[in-house]
Amino acid sequence: MAGDMSSSPLVVDAFQAEIGASEPWPVDVCLYQQYAAEQITFPDYAHCLSVKTFLYMCGLDFRVEQKTNAEEMSPSGKVPFIHVGAFLVSELDPIIAFVNARGFNLVSDMSDTERSEMRAYMSMIESILVNAELYLAWLDETVSTEITKPRYGCPYPWPLSWMLPLRKQKDVRARLSSNGWKDKTIEQVCEEVRTCCQALSERLDEQPYFFGDNPTELDALVFGHLYTLLTTSLPEGPFAEIVQKFPNLAAFCKRIDEKFFKQEEN
Amino acid sequence: MAKVNDGDKMELHVWKGDWGLPSIDPNSLSVLAYCKFSGVPVDVKVTGNPYRSPTGELPSLRHNDVSETDVNTIFTYLRKQNWGSDFELSAKQSADVLAFSAMLEEKLLPALLHLWWIDGKTYVDFTRPWYNKIMPFPLNFFLPGRKQKAASLRVFLTKGGENINNSDVEAKIYKEAKECLNLLSYKLADKEYMFGQQPSSLDALVFGYLAPILKAPLPSNQLQNHLRQCDNLCNLVNKILLRFFPLSKAEIEEKQKKEEEARKAGVTPEDTEFPHKRRNMVLAAIFAGTAMVGYAFMSGLIQLRMADFQQQEEFPGQQKNTNNSADSSNSPKPPDFSASGFDPMFEERSNEGE
Repeated sequence: MAGDMSSSPLVVDAFQAEIGASEPWPVDVCLYQQYAAEQITFPDYAHCLSVKTFLYMCGLDFRVEQKTNAEEMSPSGKVPFIHVGAFLVSELDPIIAFVNARGFNLVSDMSDTERSEMRAYMSMIESILVNAELYLAWLDETVSTEITKPRYGCPYPWPLSWMLPLRKQKDVRARLSSNGWKDKTIEQVCEEVRTCCQALSERLDEQPYFFGDNPTELDALVFGHLYTLLTTSLPEGPFAEIVQKFPNLAAFCKRIDEKFFKQEEN
Repeated sequence: MAKVNDGDKMELHVWKGDWGLPSIDPNSLSVLAYCKFSGVPVDVKVTGNPYRSPTGELPSLRHNDVSETDVNTIFTYLRKQNWGSDFELSAKQSADVLAFSAMLEEKLLPALLHLWWIDGKTYVDFTRPWYNKIMPFPLNFFLPGRKQKAASLRVFLTKGGENINNSDVEAKIYKEAKECLNLLSYKLADKEYMFGQQPSSLDALVFGYLAPILKAPLPSNQLQNHLRQCDNLCNLVNKILLRFFPLSKAEIEEKQKKEEEARKAGVTPEDTEFPHKRRNMVLAAIFAGTAMVGYAFMSGLIQLRMADFQQQEEFPGQQKNTNNSADSSNSPKPPDFSASGFDPMFEERSNEGE
């Protein structure tokens, strides 16, 4: 189903901008992810939640398809990805670029400085929270053996359910060792998360959203990750406590949850 | 800025510099700039040998018995010692510093690593020779390769994925890096420094990343072309270089002398790059000649005749042997130099005794 799009998943957005602009948002847009209740690991869940929040913020309709092999179906090998007409787009940044090209833009009235600050905070989430989540999910002994590996391997029969999580763990370990996160202790990781939350909390202050009264991509990304950290129950969950220490961030998560998710359900 | 004088000096080990930069390594440059901004009385040791530093990595700061290596931990350490350029920033601005430094690491660093270490032509023609030159002898054989491997793991594991090939990753990281430069340029706008009149740690980081892009004469450098178009960023880098890293008198004189010499002799840039070309050629020729002669001598292609005429008269049989020396090496009975040639006195005496 990937078709000819799979050949270069990252560079498509350049010409999508030209083709996509004229077309309206189709009816049957699909977002693919793994089974949320049994299978998905929480770093992946955070990514999926960010994308869903972003699409809701843009007021776009889509339905969620749950597939056990969503990771293999994705053009970049990562969840989530959306299927819009003839296009497959995966991960948050390309999806944002794609949606913007279709004429839905959350940040059209922002100044250049504000936009650059927004991208900077988004990079901070990627470089701190994403790595911290991967660290806790796959490198922490207790969490990986009790939660992550059984969940990741659950759809497969015996030898695979044992081998595939190990292979994934090896990949994550290689990735975290290449950027220096593997050698950190859990205390250092918690410290990183705390500084990150501190910065976000300072930036948010008492505003409803990070840049005033209207939601941006950053709000979607922050909500996806913080909400996941707050709500996932783990045998060792120091992150939830850290986020709880910043009342404005917790209130922010609750507000977005109510505004975009509770409404959708009704 | 509050200052506490501890009385003992801090020692900072950094990579060597070139092309008018105090160091060529982004991390070393950032730390140097931060120290200059906040006036830390630091003793800078420029080196090409990372094992000289207490932790085996550069840059590294030593103070009393504490050694710190990573840029962020060095900043934190200095801040704890009350040396810092960020004390006047508001809480919100400090948050911005963290966010933008994450953006530099996430978006600009992969492209920088790719540019120096993974781009095949640049690595072979530029990066490896440069590091070979500054590293001491046995290290320069394996350290550049090791650094290259680390860089390529970093770029392809964090930016790539299962179904993405390398050229896609390359396109992606350069696109992100250029976007990052634009965003930095927007953030700086027409201010003196990122947060107004005073330089902050973010300026130090930006300077560290951008100065090598701007100054290094890489054979191909798409980032440099892009950066040149962001005038305010170029100005920031040049301003910091001029204001905080002025050349010392000796350096200026040396530079002028070099330029004058170059003008007088009309030498090509190749000559200045390899100043001892003629000498090295002669040395190489001498070495090769010696080696060839040595080999020929050892394997018996040439043999020296040591015996003098007296001896030859007294032992006509031996003379025959030495005359045929060229083919005698293969004969079952080798010429008996040790007995006949090397100690004629002894030979004579023993003859008399008989």
